[in-house]
Amino acid sequence: MKSMTKDQWFTFVDGLIQDDTRDIIGVQSKGKRFHFGFLESVQDLRLDHDVTLLPPKKFLLPTHEELFRFDISKLFEVSCSKPDRPQILIGVHPYDVIAIQQMDAVYQNPPVDDIYEARRKNTLIIASDILSIADRSFAGSLGNHVVTSGYDLLVTDLGDTVVIDEGTTAGRDLLKDFGEFQEALTPEIERVKRLRAELPARYKHKLKIDKFRWTELLLNNYTHPIWDENARKCFSCGTCTLVCPTCFCYDVDDVMDMNMKEGKRVRTWDGCLLRDFTLIGSGEIFRRAPVDRYRHRFYRKGVYLPRRFGFVACVGCGRCATQCLSDIADPLNVMNTLAASSVEARMDLPIPHEEPHRQKGPVFMPKSATIIRKEKMTKTDTFYEIELDSKEPLGHQPGQFVEVSIFGIGEAPISIASAPEAGRSSFELLVRRVGNVTTHLEALNVGEKVGIRGPFGNGFDVERLRKRDLMFIAGGCGMAPMRSLVNYVLAHRSEFGEVSLLYGCKDPDSILFNADLNVWKTRSDIVQKFTVDYCQDGVCWDGNIGVITNLIPLVDFDPVKTAAIIVGPPVMYRFVIKELKNRGMTDENIIVSLERRMKCGVGKCGHCQFNGVYVCLEGPVFNYGDIKDLPEAF
Amino acid sequence: MKPRVAVFDFSSCEGCELQLFNLEEKFLDLIKIVDVVSFREGMKEHSDLYDIAIIDGSIMRPMDAERLKVIRKNAKTVVAIGACACIGGVNKLRNQWTSENVKREVYGDADLEGNPLFDVFPAKAVDEVVKVDYYVPGCPIDRAEFTKVITAIAMGREPRLPNYPVCVECKLRENQCVFELGMFCLGPITRAGCNAICPTHRDGCAGCRGFLEDANMDALKDVLRKYNVPMDKWLKRFDMFNCKIKREK
Repeated sequence: MKSMTKDQWFTFVDGLIQDDTRDIIGVQSKGKRFHFGFLESVQDLRLDHDVTLLPPKKFLLPTHEELFRFDISKLFEVSCSKPDRPQILIGVHPYDVIAIQQMDAVYQNPPVDDIYEARRKNTLIIASDILSIADRSFAGSLGNHVVTSGYDLLVTDLGDTVVIDEGTTAGRDLLKDFGEFQEALTPEIERVKRLRAELPARYKHKLKIDKFRWTELLLNNYTHPIWDENARKCFSCGTCTLVCPTCFCYDVDDVMDMNMKEGKRVRTWDGCLLRDFTLIGSGEIFRRAPVDRYRHRFYRKGVYLPRRFGFVACVGCGRCATQCLSDIADPLNVMNTLAASSVEARMDLPIPHEEPHRQKGPVFMPKSATIIRKEKMTKTDTFYEIELDSKEPLGHQPGQFVEVSIFGIGEAPISIASAPEAGRSSFELLVRRVGNVTTHLEALNVGEKVGIRGPFGNGFDVERLRKRDLMFIAGGCGMAPMRSLVNYVLAHRSEFGEVSLLYGCKDPDSILFNADLNVWKTRSDIVQKFTVDYCQDGVCWDGNIGVITNLIPLVDFDPVKTAAIIVGPPVMYRFVIKELKNRGMTDENIIVSLERRMKCGVGKCGHCQFNGVYVCLEGPVFNYGDIKDLPEAF
Repeated sequence: MKPRVAVFDFSSCEGCELQLFNLEEKFLDLIKIVDVVSFREGMKEHSDLYDIAIIDGSIMRPMDAERLKVIRKNAKTVVAIGACACIGGVNKLRNQWTSENVKREVYGDADLEGNPLFDVFPAKAVDEVVKVDYYVPGCPIDRAEFTKVITAIAMGREPRLPNYPVCVECKLRENQCVFELGMFCLGPITRAGCNAICPTHRDGCAGCRGFLEDANMDALKDVLRKYNVPMDKWLKRFDMFNCKIKREK
């Protein structure tokens, strides 16, 4: 431990500010509250703050951050300049240090967010011990009032002297280069120890349940009345997530410069409490009810992140409690209420098969690709064959998806419609016109460029399907990912048992992949049944009319030997699964592919999450048995 | 081909049109991507050939409604700008009285009989008369948002308004909540997009951008009671831009 006189401390900080090579960010007053801001003078630095309005996450994941720039007047031009300006954060309280460690764990977990990583590498943290306790904080109950790692320097302002603990060699070097200091004296160290030891008792608010029991408590209370009661008072204003040091979901959008030539892709803060957080192009909102959004935040903190990373993602800073107008955001109140009135209705909320990810390199940078074939399939659907300009094969499995970029418009997740074939460098997509990106895609022609990221997610596990009887059940444009699997199976036909395909559409005009269907019809080794919801007058149609479940009784299958693979609109699953189970099929034999708002593709942005599952990582293909008990899945 | 733009004004203070000039040098950038073919506040020339019609102001008279319908017919895209055009705004305050009462209050005993200029119906937002494609709400409009909407339309991209409350932007600007400062605010129920300009300047939001579709009114009333805001005060603030009271059809 080192110590400085107050004057030495001021000289040290002043030296940092005068040195132009870094941004020096420190806690300053803002009205009656505090915030982290660029320090212009050492006089502005406060170490007696209770808590800042926003956590220091805003300097690691800025509210508005450029990911890369593009120029749409050129064929395909992107440039990325990673954040390289070093910065020092001064005055970070222990609970915020812990929050930054959690953010590091999430963002630097593979696939690594390279932009975050670059910023983080250039950041030094000078933490400070808590002198004043925030009114609503309960960090003491969580043990987050002190830290032993995660900082480069840790300072304790004792009034006359400042005691400094060196956390890293970078911190030690900083001290050496800019400061004059002494070895801390034993009485000084004793004072620091006492200050820390006395902290927990000074907290007004105390948690009545140990943080290691949060997960258990929440799993027992998914149906507790508190969610509804509190959600009725919720504005869906996102305040609790924005001010939270462990909420770091984001949105991505393209912004054009006024010259309409250049632009940038930016990420901005987003939050799961906001209504449109789960909105997809077709207009579906997956977490529409305020209560589902309200509850999700607590489960993310107390169940989903702990399951993946082993930490409770609440540090007890009290920011949400202070800033929520309706005062419903405080985890302390919620946890204490649950502990006192647990309904003990156990739900497991499991996360299926976490698998290592192959994604490497910059996560946001799309690869240049060219449209080499385009075919209008229906009024709203267009088929594309696309090739990466590097001529490398995409390297996908059936059922995976890619993110397609049109610079200036944005990015959309599209499932891959072609089967992987050895030696083939192109892949195929089916795009339905529903939002901005897909509308613009429709206008692009052969020879034009798009950006491609991916493939992402888990596709169909063809190894597990081998030797089985297969029943493909596709609805609407669910036929696109299904086609990749059907073609794969037909190309390796002898490795599979009986195969049947049931396909339902709105009307005969919306049937996709007619060319493929005609080829498949000539084969005797795949049973095919078709249905439409209705058939317009004067249109020739020899298939069924009615819902897709009507087709199931038309196929003779052995429910024990058969695996059913279902891909379709969200509404279809419940009915099809019910029908299959009536026929004696078990959950283990049902495979589904789910649609969500996959935005980042790498399990960070949070949009595609249902309960603890990231569709972009663990999905979109799931074994029904793994997710059937997750309330947000269907 | 640059899209041709025409700006039209109805019942308003025309401050939102002034905001376009307040873009200053950015206005010069803007007219590089669009051709302005009609703009009474800024030019003498006029053309009826336009792609985008920008409408400022509320619709108050049958003659205005007729003029608006012609504009709708001429334009491919109609953009309503400002609170008056988007939600009726302060003009709708007048709907609390009958037209007769309003006329007497303003013009006394003057004989207005048969004068079409004074033939009024209750104030209407533009979309109560014709279909509106896009909105730039606010009193006055936010210049940055206007540019964003126009560039999006020029790109052929659908501009989307934020579907969340002003609180989001207030938090991003790291403001101290105005409730804490002893004032009150309609931010929690009002559509964001203004970058929380009023709370940032320590004034409560008045709701000029209109209330959110699923605004939690009950929760706000609870909060207002909690902070002891007198009901007459908040009722007045609710009505200022979002008056729903109607005395006649």
